[in-house]
Amino acid sequence: MTTPAIDTTALTRRFGDFTAVDQVNLCVDAGQFFGFLGPNGAGKSTTIKMLTGLLAPTSGSIRVLGEDLQARSAEIKRQIGVVPEGMALFGRLTAGEYLQFVGRMYGLDRVTTLNRTRELLEFMQLADEQKKLITDFSHGMQKKLAMAAAVIHGPKVLFLDEPFEGVDAVAAGTLKAMLQRMIARGATIFLTSHVLEIVERLCTHIAIIHRGQLVAQGALDELRTGAGRAGQAEIEAGVVPPETEKRSLEQIFLEIVGADREGNPGAVTPEQELSWLS
Amino acid sequence: MAELTGSPGLSDSMPPIAASAQLLAVAWLRWRIFVNGAIRRQPKNKRQIAGLVFVILLRIVVWPMLALMMVGPVVGSGFLAWLAISEGRPQSLAGLLLGIALLWQFVSINGLSIAASIHSFDPASLVRFPLRFGRYFVLRSLLGLLTASTIVGSMALLAAALGIGIADASLALPALVAMAVYALMNIYLTRMIGAWMERWLANRRFREIFSMMMGLSFAAIQFMNLQRAPMRAHGARSSLFLSAMHSSGPYVYWLPPGFAAQAILLAKHPLAACGQFAALLVSTVLFAAVFAIRLRKQFLGEYLSEGVNRRGPAQAAPRVRMPALETAARSAPAAAGAVFSSTVAACMRKDWIVLRNSGTQLIGMMTPLLLVAIFSMNRGLSASLAGYFLPAAIAYTLIGVLGPLYNVFGADGRGAQLYLLAPIRLRDVVVAKNLMSLALIVGEAGMAWIIICVFSRAPIPVSAQVSTVLWTVFVVALNLAIGTLRSIQAPRYFVPGQARQPRAGTPTNRTSALLVLAVLFGSMLMQVPVAIASSYFELPWLAAWIYLPLAAAAVFAYAFVLRNVEQLILEHRDVFAEELCKA
Repeated sequence: MTTPAIDTTALTRRFGDFTAVDQVNLCVDAGQFFGFLGPNGAGKSTTIKMLTGLLAPTSGSIRVLGEDLQARSAEIKRQIGVVPEGMALFGRLTAGEYLQFVGRMYGLDRVTTLNRTRELLEFMQLADEQKKLITDFSHGMQKKLAMAAAVIHGPKVLFLDEPFEGVDAVAAGTLKAMLQRMIARGATIFLTSHVLEIVERLCTHIAIIHRGQLVAQGALDELRTGAGRAGQAEIEAGVVPPETEKRSLEQIFLEIVGADREGNPGAVTPEQELSWLS
Repeated sequence: MAELTGSPGLSDSMPPIAASAQLLAVAWLRWRIFVNGAIRRQPKNKRQIAGLVFVILLRIVVWPMLALMMVGPVVGSGFLAWLAISEGRPQSLAGLLLGIALLWQFVSINGLSIAASIHSFDPASLVRFPLRFGRYFVLRSLLGLLTASTIVGSMALLAAALGIGIADASLALPALVAMAVYALMNIYLTRMIGAWMERWLANRRFREIFSMMMGLSFAAIQFMNLQRAPMRAHGARSSLFLSAMHSSGPYVYWLPPGFAAQAILLAKHPLAACGQFAALLVSTVLFAAVFAIRLRKQFLGEYLSEGVNRRGPAQAAPRVRMPALETAARSAPAAAGAVFSSTVAACMRKDWIVLRNSGTQLIGMMTPLLLVAIFSMNRGLSASLAGYFLPAAIAYTLIGVLGPLYNVFGADGRGAQLYLLAPIRLRDVVVAKNLMSLALIVGEAGMAWIIICVFSRAPIPVSAQVSTVLWTVFVVALNLAIGTLRSIQAPRYFVPGQARQPRAGTPTNRTSALLVLAVLFGSMLMQVPVAIASSYFELPWLAAWIYLPLAAAAVFAYAFVLRNVEQLILEHRDVFAEELCKA
């Protein structure tokens, strides 16, 4: 049995009286391309922040690459890469300067850092923008740079919070190529995205978080059959329709998170319609 | 392409990252940010070139003044230390060291730092890198050493050590060692206060309480000073504050300044000196430890913002309702029949909601009124100088409320795009914002007026009241005109009520701040010759006749700006996008 790349037990985070992440048990095997989905405010970014050591959990445990994150945070951080929600770039540096700084912080020697910086800038098609400050980059360019910084040290686990948000098709293609390369070389990728088509195409395993609770987890096919969903009662209550043949991830997602507390699917009801819009 | 991954599982065989490599990387990062911020700003048009020239000229004037302000305490410390030893008054050394520590904290709190005027980064962002806590602590201790507080404080301590050494050569070495540790103690004291203040100020309620306490304590000091030394008692201007400093002398010996002073003065008694030195070291370690406690929480992933600190569990999405539209629909007929157009009414309502939620700002507005009340209550002051005190008090209360006129779109941030997108007249938006500011100005000045009238022992002459009204109209209208232009030409994003602003210390902010002060103090200074002439020629209405055309001209200038505001904003759409929407 191999050690899971990411393993959480009863992971919980509260902000005052508000529980953002509630008793989440996640298990991501090494080498998986894992999609972590949920509607806005469901707790995805909070979970990623906890998994990468940027936010302390209120309770529960996190193990990354088989080690306790709290106990060995420096060692684990050295072997993970993160593209955080706000990208966390230093706007007053050039792309090359930023990558060199990140490489040195991760312990790469000078020559390796310079070589990888050059290769990554070329791969991300940022080589022609070397004199520009990051603050003057477009959103897509900044995403590509954040991705380059996340992989410069060759991480074993890559955490990506909305990497495709606001990115054009060309940049998205570059990012996807990078991710597929990482997977081919044995890395584990933990990705959150609202672009369900991309998740469906890239990810082998998926978890869905809703109102802070994990409501589904498993391979895409398992989710199609309802096997990976939390709470069989919900399935019996009619959340899951009987036909389980090749439905899209979007359909599955909407069935799970679009339902209200009574189990009704989340379509707009007649009384909610905006009559004045017509 | 680089080798991206290795074998699965955590690799323990990887060599540890050298501390020097990470420290050098951060030093390099700081250097590159400084260099890029200093030399890479390439002006794109004539306006930006003019702005850059203005900033450079400003620095040529301001930086030597700041340097002179630094030289004073440094030379003074050296001289006083020399005086204390050579004149046989060693007990005053502790007081001197206490004074340097207070100066250190004062400069630090007031943000007169070199770092504040140049681009930097949030050191807390380093927690995402593979750092051990010890290394993070060292980095946080080293980052920000080039602040004015550290430079001035360290130089003052070095000068004091030199002064002691010149006065008594046998004390030179102990003085240097003790001052070095005392400097370290001050560094950690500053860091400790800064880190804990950041923690507490993240809470809005605490921010409000803190603002109130600061305002009250400032007012209380003024009140006590006035009670002890009324301005009419010219022969006895003893300050309560200074006398408190003198009387606190014996207690200082139980504090770090006393430990440092005793460690130097008892150098001829090694055992006693070592005891004092140990006490100084313990206090340094104590401050460092309290600082470390805060950093440790940050390092482990503390979340300070109260943005998601919502009450109660997450609820199911409510039925789709559009309260904004309903409110607009309800208020539309009322607005149509009201004094203001619906655009002006909506913008004013929005700004009122922002202001209502900004308790710190409201409390900040109360402080000048409190001080005006204290000065007014002081017997004799308002009786003899009522005519002069009224415009001075009004000018004083206006300092805080005129500033926002120079950046009316700043708090809107990305929301400012709506003004450009919506089918509205941009002039209405500016009018709404100015009306809101005007309401605050009138409220503030009116309250000051009432306070002075209530506490004044003599009736204020009508001529003085009329001239004050005209002068106020002149100043406010002039600031409205210049402020509107600055708001459009040089907006700067800010978060209301937040201590650490995203774009603090930028040239634009400083230029606007300087303009406010220049206009206000320029017009205040103008009152002096007018008052002298009025008194000399015994023409009490002279001031009113002088201010009347000025007020009319200022109102006309504001009206002119307002008439062209639509075109001005459209011409500066790029500035909006760059400064506000990229926030």
